[in-house]
Amino acid sequence: MATSLPPVAIPGQRLGSIVAYSAGPGTHVQQSNIYASIAGPVVVDPAQSKTQTKATLRVSRILSGTPQISPASSAPIKQKPRYNTLPAVDSIVLARVTRVQKRQATVSILVVLDETSATTSDPSKLASDNDNVASILTTAANPENHSSTDELRFQALIRKEDVRAVEKDRVVMDEMFRVGDIVRGSVLSLGDQSFYYLTTARNDLGVVMARSEAGNMMFPISWKEMRDPVTGAGEQRKVARPY
Amino acid sequence: MMADRRRINGPPGGTRPAVFASNLQSGTSATDRAQRQRQPSELRKIFLKTGLIPTASGSSYLEFEPSASLAAARANPKSLIPPSSALKLACTVHGPKPLPRSAAFSPNLVLTTHIKYAPFAARQRKGHIRDASERDLGVHLETALRGAIIAERWPKSGLDITITILEAEDDRWWGSAPDSHDASWGMMNVLAGCITAASAAIADAHIDCLDLVAGGVAALVSDDSASTSTVAPKLMLDTDPAEHRSILSACVVAYMPARDEITELWLKGDSSKASLEDGDDRTGHEALIDGAVDAARGAHAVLAEAVRESLLKTVGQA
Amino acid sequence: MAPPAATAAPSVPPSLSLPPSQFARLQPHAYLLGHLSPPSASNQPSIRANGRAPSQFRVTSANAGSLTHTNGSAVVRIGDTAAVCGVRAELLHTEDIASWSVSQASGSNKRRRLADLGEKPTEEDEDEDPEEDRAHIEDLNLLVPNLSLSTGCAPGFIPGAAPSALAQSLSHQILSLLHSTRLVRADDLRVWYQPPNLGPEELERHNDEEQMDVDAEQSATAEEKPREIKAFWVLYIDIMIISLAGNPFDAAWAAVLAALRDTKLPKAWWDVDNETIVCSDSVADARKLSLRGLPVASSYGVFEADAAAGWRANVIPDAVEENAQAQKDKKGSPERWILADPDGYEEGLIQERACVVIDKEKDGKTTIVKMEKNGGWTVDTEDLRQLVEMSARRWDEMKRILEQC
Repeated sequence: MATSLPPVAIPGQRLGSIVAYSAGPGTHVQQSNIYASIAGPVVVDPAQSKTQTKATLRVSRILSGTPQISPASSAPIKQKPRYNTLPAVDSIVLARVTRVQKRQATVSILVVLDETSATTSDPSKLASDNDNVASILTTAANPENHSSTDELRFQALIRKEDVRAVEKDRVVMDEMFRVGDIVRGSVLSLGDQSFYYLTTARNDLGVVMARSEAGNMMFPISWKEMRDPVTGAGEQRKVARPY
Repeated sequence: MMADRRRINGPPGGTRPAVFASNLQSGTSATDRAQRQRQPSELRKIFLKTGLIPTASGSSYLEFEPSASLAAARANPKSLIPPSSALKLACTVHGPKPLPRSAAFSPNLVLTTHIKYAPFAARQRKGHIRDASERDLGVHLETALRGAIIAERWPKSGLDITITILEAEDDRWWGSAPDSHDASWGMMNVLAGCITAASAAIADAHIDCLDLVAGGVAALVSDDSASTSTVAPKLMLDTDPAEHRSILSACVVAYMPARDEITELWLKGDSSKASLEDGDDRTGHEALIDGAVDAARGAHAVLAEAVRESLLKTVGQA
Repeated sequence: MAPPAATAAPSVPPSLSLPPSQFARLQPHAYLLGHLSPPSASNQPSIRANGRAPSQFRVTSANAGSLTHTNGSAVVRIGDTAAVCGVRAELLHTEDIASWSVSQASGSNKRRRLADLGEKPTEEDEDEDPEEDRAHIEDLNLLVPNLSLSTGCAPGFIPGAAPSALAQSLSHQILSLLHSTRLVRADDLRVWYQPPNLGPEELERHNDEEQMDVDAEQSATAEEKPREIKAFWVLYIDIMIISLAGNPFDAAWAAVLAALRDTKLPKAWWDVDNETIVCSDSVADARKLSLRGLPVASSYGVFEADAAAGWRANVIPDAVEENAQAQKDKKGSPERWILADPDGYEEGLIQERACVVIDKEKDGKTTIVKMEKNGGWTVDTEDLRQLVEMSARRWDEMKRILEQC
């Protein structure tokens, strides 16, 4: 049965019957048949657990050369199917701090760290806009007005109570984040029409890159402090555990 | 009219397009009207390529094959008046990106379409500001695409589709007096091209679609040979308005072959006088829609080929 | 979790192990700096993130004459930046020019023209009065360039909105370069009319009315009535930037140049019966513009290793000494790079820009047509000399490309 599957598909191409497969990301069902909804390599994910009886058909956004018949071991059971490249609940994102207020920090999401991209060996081969150096090099700069680029990025809030897991009531936002810091966060919820909500209340989450007041890149020295290698001065941050 | 201070304006008194001596001599014209060399159901070739504009999430460039008379005029230029023109357009897709702050929450992908003619795209110089017909085209395109996109896969985000027409189709033969026909038939060919090109660019951007939706045009034309109006109009596919004396009715569809579904239909003119083959008991407009669908099937083949080609190229590179 | 990125970006702090793509997005300045100043031990050449050498321009192509409804057209691609230019000629009748009859009646132009000719007999422009040429082209707005970025060429430009500040500025730069290079000759745009000689009776009547000396006037008019300008061609030069990936000016100007070189104007004359200008549609009658030279624009950006250093030295006096020390320490490795033809990524990291417009005469002598530098102070006279040399090499390349298209 799997032999009749095409290696690649284009939108509207019939892939198989729902009798044989479940429909995964990049496909849709029409009159008991699974059709491709994006262009890409066709991937069969074998049935995962006892509850699933059918293999899942999906069309990958990742245009790598080898057809991805993903071995069962590499696909964690808790992983949810991703139907788009947007930030979703539990997505890990990298974001730049654009505003720090008393009760919250506003950030602009730069990169959605896809689970798939984290497990693939060479991220530069991904076609997704997030992970392709060439496409970043051509699209990164908005020549018109650099401040307006944030309007093209998804915005998120880190509320005071979501900054860290301990001593929540003693959080002072100015000592956690500064404008320009790069923060690794996890998406809590899709929020309202304009903001996602992020949390940094985990050891591996928080500031990953920051410049000191003197303008130098700092390195982390503890979970709440970073240091300027030139001036030697320390600054407070909610630091992500480096690894 | 107020001078537009954000653009460079020409002479304040305005300018006049060139008037050719050959046009002043009424009745006879220097150049004969372009004649259709194709069979009634024969389509023009379409050149379509995706991914040429890397700053966009998706892009495409589309060109219609020049008519036989235009190709001849290019190969051996005699007159400065082109016999017909051939559609050329570029399409970009930006997004999915955040909706503007002022926008309400949307659980779906919000589509914005925008079609603009370059000032030099048509026989008459176009203005810099979008006119009613360009807005109209944008609305038709949006309807055509909205039926094909799986919008619920992309919550609270927006997708901008922008098309720049570098060369438009003629609305009629240039030698006819401007008031000799009512409708702007060329717009329908432009729309068909826009649908096909936008579909390719959306696929290039990896936005989920039910199918590659393609545009097609058919028309009822009444071709002269000095005869009276007793000659009943004939059905032709992919008509170039410059090649016909009189178009009575035309239809453009956006069509998804995988589902046999029409997402957009636009029919103009009087389709009641169609002369169909014996035994064909379809009404004029039925025949016209079927013809447009046939033309769209042809465009779909080109579209699928272009999307597949760019996919295989990317997969091959990786 | 993620593979090491040390190869692409040597200056990554130890806390980070991001793939290069993410590093490029998060720390663009450090990413580009990492490429331009590879560790001295690695023996790698200084190369830009896009793989080009600092003085290297992107691959350029040009194609002219493919748009049906234009008098001249061209498509120019410089790397991923693409510009389409269409030239459309329309007629400006002198009777539609409000001030025309006044300025002509004064006749002052004619007299000065003779005087100029006597002083400096120039080779090519012998029958052109530079002042009249300028006055006609500039004061009458005969060249009308407009550049559009509302084409979806890059995210951030809203289609349908008024021209952005960048689009307006580019349009004006093109206009002023068209004027200062005097690329288009006013005489190519003039439509002349030679009135027939009037009969003697009529002449008599005229003279009576004007109460002039009959004898003196007769000798003048017997030769020929002076010919007059009945109309001008106005060139609408529209540039659509179809794809924007940095340095739009070079691409736009090259497209304008190629389109003007492709432009043909129909033969036009004053039709006495219809009292209007009439044109011939014959290609054989039409003529090309005779442009003055081939001015080629080359743009550069200056990338600084520490963009803030210069400012600190001036704004915070205490830092000067420290900064001077740092300069000394880093001697040998440059603090800044001049990048030819910057792409969109580089443009976002550049404060100082320079644009040099070069032309070469037949004997190969280089002429600087325009030089512009803004946004910083690191480029000195030696650098400018280098820029001119690079631009001169670029001119040779562009000449070849434009002559083939």
